[in-house]
This record gives sequence, C-alpha cells and structure tokens, in this order.
Amino acid sequence: MSSQSDSAGSIYDLGYRHYDGARLGRRHAVLSLYFYTLRGAFGLGRRTSSKIIPIAITIIAFIPALIQLGIAAIASGVIELIKPENYYGYVQVAVALFCAAVAPEIVGRDQRTRTLSLYFSRALQRRDYALAKLAAFTTALLLLTLLPQAVLFFGNMLATNDTTAFLRDNWRQVPRIVIGGLLIASLMASLSLAIACQTPRRSYATVAVIAVFLVTTPLANIFVREAGSIGHYAILFSPFDLLGGTMHWLFDSKPDRESIVYIADLPKLIYPGAALAVTACATALILRRYGRIAA
Amino acid sequence: MALLETRELTKRYGTIVTALDSLSITLEPGIIGLVGANGAGKSTLIKILLGLLEPTSGGATVLGLDAATQGPELRQFVGYMPEHDCLPGDVSATEFVAHMAQVNGLPKAAARERTAETLRHVGLFEERYREIRGYSTGMKQRVKLAQALVHDPRVMFLDEPTNGLDPAGRDEMLDLVRRTGKEFGISIIMASHLLGEIERVCEHLVVIDGGKLLRSAPIGDFTGRTQVLAVEIEGDARQLMARLIQLGLKVKEEGRLLLIGIEDDAVYDQIRDTVADLGLGLVRLEQRRQNLEDLFRTPAAEEPNVVAV
Repeated sequence: MSSQSDSAGSIYDLGYRHYDGARLGRRHAVLSLYFYTLRGAFGLGRRTSSKIIPIAITIIAFIPALIQLGIAAIASGVIELIKPENYYGYVQVAVALFCAAVAPEIVGRDQRTRTLSLYFSRALQRRDYALAKLAAFTTALLLLTLLPQAVLFFGNMLATNDTTAFLRDNWRQVPRIVIGGLLIASLMASLSLAIACQTPRRSYATVAVIAVFLVTTPLANIFVREAGSIGHYAILFSPFDLLGGTMHWLFDSKPDRESIVYIADLPKLIYPGAALAVTACATALILRRYGRIAA
Repeated sequence: MALLETRELTKRYGTIVTALDSLSITLEPGIIGLVGANGAGKSTLIKILLGLLEPTSGGATVLGLDAATQGPELRQFVGYMPEHDCLPGDVSATEFVAHMAQVNGLPKAAARERTAETLRHVGLFEERYREIRGYSTGMKQRVKLAQALVHDPRVMFLDEPTNGLDPAGRDEMLDLVRRTGKEFGISIIMASHLLGEIERVCEHLVVIDGGKLLRSAPIGDFTGRTQVLAVEIEGDARQLMARLIQLGLKVKEEGRLLLIGIEDDAVYDQIRDTVADLGLGLVRLEQRRQNLEDLFRTPAAEEPNVVAV
C-alpha cells in the first residue's frame, strides 16, 4: 500500500470497506427526498439567510390565531372574533407569499444546479421525484394552513371553563378544519409548483406564482361584478376566491354580502369540485414537466 | 454474468441527429474506457444505460437488469458522475452526499457513516462541513466522485471525470479512479476523449464514433498495434524512406526521424538491411509507443458528420 499512497499525493487511504448492509430501495429513496425537501422548505440544514423568509412568513400565519387567543384569554372566551371558516382569509396572502418564495427553491434549485441528473440516476423514477416534492411542499403548507387552526382550536378549548361542553359543541369543526387545511395546502402547493417547475430561473418563478395568486383576484372581481351571469364563473379562476367558496361549502357558512363569492352566487358544490380539478390539473402538469425534462 | 449488454441500441434526436446507431456491445466487469470524439455518443450511451434517456429503439441491460424497465432497482447498484456541474452550492458536502446515499436506499445511519468514509477516500477533510459553493473545481470533482461511490455501487459510470482539472488534479483523480476500480473491485465505465487518460486507468477499451462501435478490445490489443520504430540515420533519410515504402512499410517523417509501423518482427531486419544496402549510418533504432490518439485520429477526421450530443 505504501507505493499507492505515495502516488496518491495528498490522499489518505484508510482502507475502503464494502457496504453489506440493507438497501431499502425506492420507497426509502422517496421518503428521504420527501423529508429532505420538507426541511429545505424552511431552510433547515442551510445557511441562516435561507431560513429567514420561510420562517418569518410561517410566524405571520400564526398571528391571527394568537390574537384571538389573546382576546379570548382577556374576555374569557366570550368573543369569537376569528372563526375557522374565515381563518384562511386572514392568512391567504401569507400562504401565497410562502409559495412564491419557497416553490422556486423546491423545484427550481435542482434544475438550476443540474442535480436532477443525480436524482434520476438513483433508486427512484421521475414521477417519484415529482410526487415526493409535491408531497413535501404540501406538508410544508399544512404548517401554515392547518397548524394555526389547530392551535386556535386547542387554545379556545383550554380557555373555556367546560372542556367537555366545548368539545360537544365544536367537535364537528375538527374534520372540517382538517379537510379545509388539506384542500388549501394541496391546491396551493400543486398550483405553485406546477408554475415554478417550468423554469430553473428563480425570479421568473417567483413573479409568476405571485401573479397567479394576487393578480387573478382583482380580475375575477371585475368579471363577477361587471360581466353578467357568465362572468360569475370567472371566480373559479381566482385561487383565493375559489378556496374561499370551498370553505363556505365545507363549514356550511354564509359568505359576506360584500364578497364576490356572495355576488357570484354559484352552487356551493361547484367550489370544492373546481378546487379538486385545479389540484389534479396542476399535479398532471408537474408530472408532465418531469417526464420530459432533460437530465 | 456480463456487466452490460446493449442490443441494436439506437438514439435519434429529432429526425436529423443520430447519437447512437444500432450499437450492440457486451462488456465484462472491469475498468472500461469509453473513447470517442466530442459528440461521438459517449454521454448518450451512459445516460441510456442509467435509464436517464429512453432509446429510440433497441435495449440495454446492466448487471442483468433492464435499464428501461428496472431502473430504480438497477440504479441502487450504480453510481454516476456526470460531466457537467451537478452540485447545489448551499449545502455542505457531508449533508449532500449523505442525502444522495439515502436516495439510493441506504438507511440514515449507514448513509452518514458511508459519507464520512467516502469523503475521506476521495480526499476531502475538514472542508466537507463547509458549503459546496466555496469549493475549488478539484474539490467539486471529488464530491461528484464521492456521491457516485457512497452507496458502494457494483458499477460506476464516470463521464469525463477530469473535466476542468489542472494537471496535478488530473493525476490525482485518475489515480483515485484506478484504485477504486482495481482495489475495490468496482467496475468502472469511464468516458473520455483523452486517450492518454484511458490508457493510464483502463483495462478494456471501447471506441465509438458517430454513434457506431468502432472497436471493443483489451487495452493491450490497442497498444500492441500502436508500436512504432523511430529510426535516426546519418545521410539521406528520404532515400531510405522511399526504399522502405517500396518494401510495403508504413513510414512517416518526423523531423530528423523516420517513424515506421511495426507490422511484424521482420521489420527490424528489413530496416537494418536497407540501411546497409544504401550505405547509410544507423544512429538510432528505437521502439516507441504511439499514443492511442494517433490510431484514431484518421477515422475521426474522415467522418465529418459526427453528431453533437
């Protein structure tokens, strides 16, 4: 070995050992990518500057819940300022900003650095990669959509004098909150990833995601108010209003008289239907992109 | 079991560009050099064997597994070092390579342990905890090699592993590749357009050009055919050259020397006798090993329709 180390210059050779341990295959590969992506969404394992934006936005999503709990603590649970069906409305801009900031990192980074070649030459397939990324980003968004509501629910429960009574009155809300959070997270995750994965360029992706969420809302507003009964369907092209309508369907609540969900006056069931359709189309777009992308 | 086998493998990009043209080849385990000009189809072949590209027609098996249909299973046992940059800048080498090991199916603890070992093997020490963006080209090439090796593959595909390295870095990388193949018994397919590198590392050589197989043989067969005699004489070299050509030998002039191909051992006698006949003084008769490059320069130059990959 001595002649080897001489010719190898600075390379130490402490001996190579073969690996005889377990090889867990595709499932493990996908799960690893899922957790790695989820950590990366919040900048964990990266430099501090990558953590600031995602974590700051996540905190913003909790502010309404904390305010309500603060009020509830002072006014002993009498005033319910923020209802579960409305919570989404308070945090939608924060969730959209999170999408715009993080989605390009989730799907653009590996394209930019050409790391895709390394993933696709490992124990997974192209669609596994795409679905692991989507699942991880959806989970990240659940932290912004579901977790604050869970905090609010348990906070309210603890604030009441009679926990049993609270649960008796409110248990119906639990599955609604969970389904609502899942619907919001999966639609916004798939839509923003479908847009962001089309380009390795971070800035393009960020602007495009922001535009889809924020520009469509005033546009839909104009069409619904000004373009007659056909124009009412424009509301389905605005993700915020589409999800707003879905929440009213889910919680069986009445929309505000000023809101365009009220003005559009579409059958309630059309909202969850359209939300699922958008999620499915966006997922198909992501799979299509990763089926074709060169690696 | 053959290391890999391709059957009538064809890859076309659009209708005009043919990167691989019914390539059929069977290779046994070992360190194999894949040589060809830029655009000869080396990278395309590697990508098809990895399942990164779908062939237009034909098929390939690696380690007995079908590259197109058994991709994930096969790739657990395959390492790939691409030609291009492929590393994220914002994580450390340790973090990245451990992640890559897990995506190849290694459990977390094993992945960490193997990462430390592999990075040490390729010669990265304390810097492995720093972000990759601060690395030199040489260090990045080492990380690329490490990620291909971390899961202890049975075969590694290395696409131009010395790309962008300075001469010292080249030497170290080639040495590393050679040791990885020889001492650890990992089969290696190394693509390069530099024959000198292939000669130093590989046992078997595959030459492709224009997407077609030119030759596949042990490296000795190639170097054997590339022996030349360098002859230096006192007097008129042209006269000797003309006579030797008449005798049917291949002669090339190089400065004051004549380079003569060694077809068989009779060449030595022929030269000696001819020099004596002409009454010239023989100063030097020296056996030289011609570079493999010279051997293939002609076919490559003759085919201007070499395609880009």
